[in-house]
Amino acid sequence: MAAEVVKEEVYSTIPMRTWRWLGVNEARVASSILAAAQERRIRVPAGEKHTVVLVYRDELAAHVQAELAAGAELQLIKVQLAEDGVRRADTIEVQCSEGAKLSYTAVEAGAGVSTTKLLVALNGDKSEADVAALYFGDRKRRIDMNYIIRQAGRDTRANMQIHGALAGESDKIFRGTLDFIRGAKGSTGREKEEVVLLSPKVRNRSVPLMLSGEDDVDGHHAVSVGRMDENKLYYLMSRGLNLSEAERLVVEAALAPVLVRIPDAQLAAEVREHIEGRLSHV
Amino acid sequence: MAANLLTIEGLRAGVAGKEILKGLNLTINEGEVHVLLGPNGSGKSTLMNLIMGHPKYTRLAGKMSFAGEDLTALPTFERARRGIFLSFQTPEEIPGITVENMLRTAKQAITGQKVKILAFKKQLAAAMAKLSMDESYAERYMNVGFSGGEKKRNEILQLLLLEPKLALLDETDSGLDVDAVQIVSRGVSAFHNETNACLIITHNARILSELKVDCVHVLMDGQIIEEGGAELIDEINRHGFAHLLDGAAK
Amino acid sequence: MAKKKTFIEDIERTLYDIKNEDRPVYKTKQGLTEEIIRDISAKKHDPDWMLAFRLHSLDVYNHTPLPVWGPDLSELDMDRIVTYVKPDAKMAGRWEDVPEDIKDTFDRLGIPEAEKTSLAGVGAQYDSEVVYHSIQESLTRQGVIYTDMETALVEHEDLVREYFMKLVPPKDHKFVALHGAVWSGGSFVYVPAGVQVKIPLQSYFRLNSPGAGQFEHTLIIVEKGASLHFIEGCSAPKYNVTNLHAGCVELYVKEGARLRYSTIENWSRNMMNLNTKRALVEKDGLIEWVSGSFGSHVSMLYPCSILHGENARCEFTGVTFAGHGQHLDTGATVVHAAPHTSANINTRTISKDGGIAVYRSAVKVAPGADHAKCSVNCESLMLDDRSRSDTLPVMDIQGDEADIGHEARIGRISDEAVYYLTTRGISEDEARAMIVRGFVEPIAKALPLEYAVEMNNLINIELEGAMG
Repeated sequence: MAAEVVKEEVYSTIPMRTWRWLGVNEARVASSILAAAQERRIRVPAGEKHTVVLVYRDELAAHVQAELAAGAELQLIKVQLAEDGVRRADTIEVQCSEGAKLSYTAVEAGAGVSTTKLLVALNGDKSEADVAALYFGDRKRRIDMNYIIRQAGRDTRANMQIHGALAGESDKIFRGTLDFIRGAKGSTGREKEEVVLLSPKVRNRSVPLMLSGEDDVDGHHAVSVGRMDENKLYYLMSRGLNLSEAERLVVEAALAPVLVRIPDAQLAAEVREHIEGRLSHV
Repeated sequence: MAANLLTIEGLRAGVAGKEILKGLNLTINEGEVHVLLGPNGSGKSTLMNLIMGHPKYTRLAGKMSFAGEDLTALPTFERARRGIFLSFQTPEEIPGITVENMLRTAKQAITGQKVKILAFKKQLAAAMAKLSMDESYAERYMNVGFSGGEKKRNEILQLLLLEPKLALLDETDSGLDVDAVQIVSRGVSAFHNETNACLIITHNARILSELKVDCVHVLMDGQIIEEGGAELIDEINRHGFAHLLDGAAK
Repeated sequence: MAKKKTFIEDIERTLYDIKNEDRPVYKTKQGLTEEIIRDISAKKHDPDWMLAFRLHSLDVYNHTPLPVWGPDLSELDMDRIVTYVKPDAKMAGRWEDVPEDIKDTFDRLGIPEAEKTSLAGVGAQYDSEVVYHSIQESLTRQGVIYTDMETALVEHEDLVREYFMKLVPPKDHKFVALHGAVWSGGSFVYVPAGVQVKIPLQSYFRLNSPGAGQFEHTLIIVEKGASLHFIEGCSAPKYNVTNLHAGCVELYVKEGARLRYSTIENWSRNMMNLNTKRALVEKDGLIEWVSGSFGSHVSMLYPCSILHGENARCEFTGVTFAGHGQHLDTGATVVHAAPHTSANINTRTISKDGGIAVYRSAVKVAPGADHAKCSVNCESLMLDDRSRSDTLPVMDIQGDEADIGHEARIGRISDEAVYYLTTRGISEDEARAMIVRGFVEPIAKALPLEYAVEMNNLINIELEGAMG
């Protein structure tokens, strides 16, 4: 019986290609999913503050385009809690004018295959992007993320914090790009990814890119993959928890900084329970 | 009459569009020790950085001259070569450049003469011993991983080796424990003689224990509001700065 | 050699992916023909198996497209290479034809007359006879073999055949295939078990084979428990009419052995430097790379360390300085293929005056390579806003209990640091130069003194353009 061939197409690519054998140059998505993409436009007028919460559970592709006018602020939360068999493809693009501020929080905790792309363009001077994402992979989940923050304006600020945990036989690729365009004088960019590996069968790929055509910038990125803080584990175990229980708690603590950004208490609770439930089966 | 080293007249200066010094006069002659007191934000460090020629500060009005030469057109390194030295409050770290290398290069730059490596190493070792600094510091990268106290001692080490005419000491005693203050204090005292001068910013005056203070200036909101002898220091320690303002108002 | 077959398969599985590329195969007007290769082989008196190997490589070369990533290689004049590699090509040029800036740099670096002409490929080969021969005596006493590749092929054929291009096979990429077909010159070093070679061996002494080193092959085998420091290249710019350097370096570090491989590459500004270097490290072995990339127009250089035995280690320290008209794409790769392996990668890049410096790396932890530890640190200094600095590291982790960390920084010379030095009487230009030298200190420290001095001189020369 021949395996079903799923027609795929290139969904997103990293700004700079590297060795093919690493398999991170591009993300591919089944064409059938992209056929019926949900479009959404968000416009935040000058000086206003909006909050938008997106919750994805179905097998769909979403394309969100946001424009922030001068001094506008957008708090955008995206929670993906789809079932195991679901495949998702989400693209979020945000354009920021002068002084605009984006706060983006994403939770990738569901779906069998999740492919996401985030593109933030800090076009205006003094615009800011504060991005935080959480991913949790278990069983045979595949998580593919491509986050790009382009800093073109002067004195822009970018911060990307990614926290994740991988268990079972999950496979995850995170590409985080800080792109300083020439002229972005006085800008700062920070990127940090922390991954906890909970099983010997996972595949973790991290690609922290930093591109710059401008010398008057301050860019720093860091990735740390691996064990949990042994001191923390020891402390918890000295209070009566066994190793699994302690590990679970440490993972929850690692993911907490992202969860705390979800303004909707009920949603936050749902995410927490969802992850806790999955963690207990790890 | 001791020769004049530093003359400042009607100095107004600021940074990024904000005026910090609003008309300041100061005269320092050879052999003198001047103390600069004032609350945080009054412009003390700004004044020192202006004398040194920090590019980010702008002189709006007034004159500064050193040993009769107008400082205005001179870039920082030329001022250092004329004999002005600044001991920083928070000295920079320069990875990859050893203390010995940097000091030798500076000595050469300032004297304009080639420095013999062996002779210099001896000089360096002697100065380090005087400051109770372990000789291993000579090979460490400039201030990298140094504690606050170690950085300050490193500044005084440079003072002793570069032998400037005017030493500007910006809170060199802050953040130091009792023993370290004594070492630094002795170092400054060893440096000071009748041909050079010191301008010292301090909050607790411990650094002055071995020095004879000639004049105390109190700086507030960009202007010198009071001048006097060493007794001013005690007065401020006891009653604070506000007391002086009340006095000035009267 | 069942064991070798296995590791090649392992490597193949992780490294090679020769499927259909998107780009068409590059064809030259006068392609490298079998006839040319046979001619080369005959003139060199190759044994039959080497001729067969060259022909096989030629075949791979003709079927492999150019890489689809990295710097633009379209300037590469493949036709000139064809004419160049013909054995009857005239190598010797004229001193008058050597570009002024090359001659200038020779003077600045204090290179003696005889060496100048040799490095510029226009004179008799420089042979530091006396020094060379005395080193030879002490080495021979220890059983160390140090010859050029052609001699090794004759005097130690079995040894060479066992290792030659097994670690870097022709199918790796197009320029390795080219190398396999037309390689010429290079060094062969064999250190017997337990021997500690105290003095660093320098490839500099080996500039005595035709081909002026642009397709040279370096093969080094350090047997169990032995140690060696090998220094390749020198800071003087190597000028060559033909603008391609497609060298290959294969390093075998056996159980408990230690090899330090230092390089200062300063190819002249017209060169395309496409070098492939790889080390295979067995149990408890250590490979240390010290790498300074200064010259060439385009460079693609990613020394690869395969940590094949338990506890194998890799230390990589590198600096890349991309100035005007340069596109230097360099980095390192590490493959953790056994348990308890560890690696430390520490690189610095500097870009100025329109130069492009790209740092590219890959850390691969294969399944089963448990308890792998790897730390990657990359700092990039940009001296103006006309240049580029790009960092593209990838981590691909599959082993259990891995502990992998990566950090990168990008920025310019701190104004405060410059000010601090000027308050000590040092001029602004000199202050900047000091800070840049301080920035590359970790690499200078790992080099023998005269190389460190040369490297600093090189940096001074490079900086003058930007500051002046």
